[in-house]
Amino acid sequence: MSLRSRLEELRISMKPRIKEWKFMLMRIRQNSLALTGLVIILAFVTIAALSPVLAPPNPMDPFKIPRDAEINVLTPNPTPPTIKHIFGTTDQQYDLYYACIWGTITAFRTGLTVVGISLIIGLLVGTVAAYYGGLLDEVLMRFTDIIIAFPGLVLAMALVIAFPAKVPINISMIALVLFAIVSFMLLVVRPSKKLLLVVQAFLILSVLSIFFFPFSLDLTLSRLDKVLIAITLVGWPGYTRVIRGEVLRVKNEDYVEASRASGSSDFGVIIRHIWPNTVYPLLIVATLDIGSIVLSAAALSFLGIGADPDYADWGQIIQRSSPWINRPTELVANFHTFVIPGVFITFFVMGWNLLGDALRDVLDPTLRRR
Amino acid sequence: MSQKTLVEVKDLTVNFYTYAGVVEALDGVNVSLREGEILGLVGETGSGKSVTSLSVMMLVPPPGRIEGGSIYLETSSDEKDVLLMDDSTLRSMRGKDISMIFQEPRAYLNPVYNVEDQIGEILLVHRKPEFLKNAVASLENKKKSRTFEANNYRRMLRSPKSLSTRFLQRFGSKKNLKAEVRKEVVKVLKSVEIPDPDRVADMYPHELSGGMAQRVLIAMALACNPKVLIADEPTTNLDVTVQAQILNLVRQLKKDYNSSILYITHDLGVVAQLCDRVAVMYAGNVVETGDVFEIFSGALHPYTRALLESIPRPGQGFRSIPGIVPSLIEPISGCRFRDRCAYAMEICQKVKPPFVELKKGHFAACYLYGGSQ
Amino acid sequence: MSYLLQVRNLKKHFPIAGGVLKRSVASVKAVDGVTLDVLKGECFGLVGESGCGKTTLGKTVLRLYKPSMGHIFFGAPNDAVSEITNLEATNPKSRRLRRLREQYDISMYRGRDLLLLRRKMQIVYQDPTTSLDPRMLVKDIVGEPLIAQGIAKGEEAKKMVVEMLDRVGLSERALYRFAHEFSGGQRQRVAIARALVSRPDFVILDEPTSAVDVSVRAQLLNLFTDLQKEYGLTYMFISHDLSIVECISHRVAIMYLGKIVEYSTTEEIFQKPLHPYSQALIASVPVPDPSQRKERAPLTGEVPSPVDPPVGCRFHPRCPLAMSVCKQKEPLLIDAGNQHYVACYAVNRENS
Repeated sequence: MSLRSRLEELRISMKPRIKEWKFMLMRIRQNSLALTGLVIILAFVTIAALSPVLAPPNPMDPFKIPRDAEINVLTPNPTPPTIKHIFGTTDQQYDLYYACIWGTITAFRTGLTVVGISLIIGLLVGTVAAYYGGLLDEVLMRFTDIIIAFPGLVLAMALVIAFPAKVPINISMIALVLFAIVSFMLLVVRPSKKLLLVVQAFLILSVLSIFFFPFSLDLTLSRLDKVLIAITLVGWPGYTRVIRGEVLRVKNEDYVEASRASGSSDFGVIIRHIWPNTVYPLLIVATLDIGSIVLSAAALSFLGIGADPDYADWGQIIQRSSPWINRPTELVANFHTFVIPGVFITFFVMGWNLLGDALRDVLDPTLRRR
Repeated sequence: MSQKTLVEVKDLTVNFYTYAGVVEALDGVNVSLREGEILGLVGETGSGKSVTSLSVMMLVPPPGRIEGGSIYLETSSDEKDVLLMDDSTLRSMRGKDISMIFQEPRAYLNPVYNVEDQIGEILLVHRKPEFLKNAVASLENKKKSRTFEANNYRRMLRSPKSLSTRFLQRFGSKKNLKAEVRKEVVKVLKSVEIPDPDRVADMYPHELSGGMAQRVLIAMALACNPKVLIADEPTTNLDVTVQAQILNLVRQLKKDYNSSILYITHDLGVVAQLCDRVAVMYAGNVVETGDVFEIFSGALHPYTRALLESIPRPGQGFRSIPGIVPSLIEPISGCRFRDRCAYAMEICQKVKPPFVELKKGHFAACYLYGGSQ
Repeated sequence: MSYLLQVRNLKKHFPIAGGVLKRSVASVKAVDGVTLDVLKGECFGLVGESGCGKTTLGKTVLRLYKPSMGHIFFGAPNDAVSEITNLEATNPKSRRLRRLREQYDISMYRGRDLLLLRRKMQIVYQDPTTSLDPRMLVKDIVGEPLIAQGIAKGEEAKKMVVEMLDRVGLSERALYRFAHEFSGGQRQRVAIARALVSRPDFVILDEPTSAVDVSVRAQLLNLFTDLQKEYGLTYMFISHDLSIVECISHRVAIMYLGKIVEYSTTEEIFQKPLHPYSQALIASVPVPDPSQRKERAPLTGEVPSPVDPPVGCRFHPRCPLAMSVCKQKEPLLIDAGNQHYVACYAVNRENS
């Protein structure tokens, strides 16, 4: 089959789905709150995309906020907005405008990577637990419960302090970890002959790699990265529970059984039937979560455990105003140092929340109605 | 069977305003139910039989709206046209003058209340003074006429809406009232032939089988002795042996209480076994109404005839009606059956046939029998 | 006369978990010892009320459930089946028995054998709304068996799908639509197309017309008959609607609480039902003739729970002919003459 006919086939197949999406978009357009959320997020995306233009980047590292050396000589105290510094400066003369603009990229990075990875982990664990049930389900769910009980804040602090900045990653180490996961899954899934061959080849390769690739790569983790790892490690159980509930509901539907009667393997059933029908509530939770993750990261930065002191991050720049919490006059006088980044955070979180609510309204009733 | 008409639906029009367009669910429906008869309302999915019955009780859910016609109901209030009744009249009418039972009995029973509570709720809504009087009388018999409980009951009888009554009734037990209600619940359960009614009264809906749940629903519907009962496919989801029992029960109830029943179904066998008269609906219209023997031996409307012919008979192959039910979103001119009718004429495409009496008590809407001027 | 499907003493029990540690406290004996044969090319009707186990029997035969006990022989030659039955009685541990069973007894199939079996046995479900994935295009729904079993891919698969859709009465435009855009009858046609696209020999029809409009039922049933003739299919038609079964099946079996109580040709069953339950069941069907009205319901009481079936003959608590032996031992299916099998002491005593 030629490439052109395959593309043509794809185009025709997508048409009815596009029609469905258009219907959904129309419903979003009718809901004014949803529209507001969408507009806010799009505005932030524009800011993030245009940040090199809006705020010329620091040549060394764009995420280091520039300090105004001249004024710093005169006074380290924050200055109100002027033409040179549009939002003013904060303690040690860090430019607020730059921090807020480049902080947008940081916010997106934080939210999307944490939610993305948590989503994947939660999806896999939840699907396996719900689909196979029995002892595996019990074990995985108890493990998830333990993770939920874990104090995220404490873990974040511990990781920031104790985790080394440079982490040596060995290829054989990765291979061993993957081997552990794969053998665990083999206990559960009954693989076809093809899959068995692949796994065997992979195991042999990984064992051999210890001899052929003795070097290791160094992974540099900034403080923010460690915080993100910490949040991810405690954040994925929420998704597990959502997807597990959905998979349990869908698992017993007739069409799943019909698919098995047609000869699909477990993997085929999950990919073709279970995931397309269960992933939507997960997306809604993820959208709502992005806002809350950014808020948590900002809170951690404010407590001093987050990004490095001169990193362009909203929470971090607010942290610079923490000395005046007890001093009301200075607090009021320098309100621009925390109100402006605060406004950015508020709108960002609100935008995602509105979008998530809108998705929930749009996706569920439409599905039920259909 | 007297000739008194208890329910008269004339020219009823109901539209549903949906995202996809306006669905003309009922287009001038005429149904009448006489005292002491069982009228079978027959039709396929989408014919409008459920909407008709819901309209009689003003329970049509949005986006549905009644757009025209009149519904006359013999009630104990002054207002006889249901469409003009106000909310409080409607509330007092539902359950007392007319009740309804539905297809899936367990969906219409609240899962967190047991049978006694659910039947008791209806009894208390409509017949509370009666139970209060009985409770007071039983307390007097036990020589406890001066207690707080008895006075509470007397207060509730005298001035049920006053603030002091409503405040004071929260204190003190209502044991005797509950006992009176339970006695009536057991009596009602016995009348629907439920074995061991005392035990069933304490059961929850999930503990009941399909047949038992349907009997409980019938008991609830009959608890306040309504004159009219609407049954919307109550046996469709039940096993055939249980269906036979329920049909028998319905026949018995009609005999004992002279109830008038509007029985909705799509099963012509049930109609033949149970009903006195039949009304056939198609795509939002009543196409034929008549006595059950006349309909089965000599149906007039082509749709009715086609339905009777499609009953499976061994050795014959399955006969179906060609075509599909028309969509009610795009209004169709003329007779709605015209695209599937073997006898369609030119006028059938243009003007809707009037619903006229062709023989005594036998109505039909078809140009085959004249009226094409 | 070759038998396509032979079931011997099939049992399927579902354990009920209870208690703190979720041990199995009891089991739902959905199918409790069923033996029957289905001839090649016939339509075998399976009738019963809710809780009798007919759907479970169909799905177990299809290997959607693993049987708790018993044998299912699909496409096995008669002498192999009789040899297995003999060896079971005489030499249960013989290696030949094990080899024969591995070859013919599909209750033991796994992996690749099971996948090949799926090509030959298919099912059409009762409710077309839930049996079709609401998020898949018709093209993918009907094409899934081809891909899952590796029969065809891409363009070739699409051609087979179009051909099948045409055969069930749907146009090519249906390919790129979602299932919910169609009416109930059309959805059921999609389900039929899916079942037949891999050209199976045996199709289980699990109440295929119950969830569909009365006017569409006849069209679907005629379609079933036509397809059976054209493709040489063998059907197991499961239904609680006796009038349909009477018109479409060649032979009928009546089930009650996990066991078959009577089976024979359609004519024999409906003209001369012998088992008291069959008689009550057939008498309960409302006759569409107002001059034939019954005064009493033929059967009182309700079906007991399959968790705790009555000891002895399962029907004895409701049976008007119950004797003392009925309460102690289960009756066996015995030929009461003319290949008409009944499991009832009262009936068989009359005949013997």
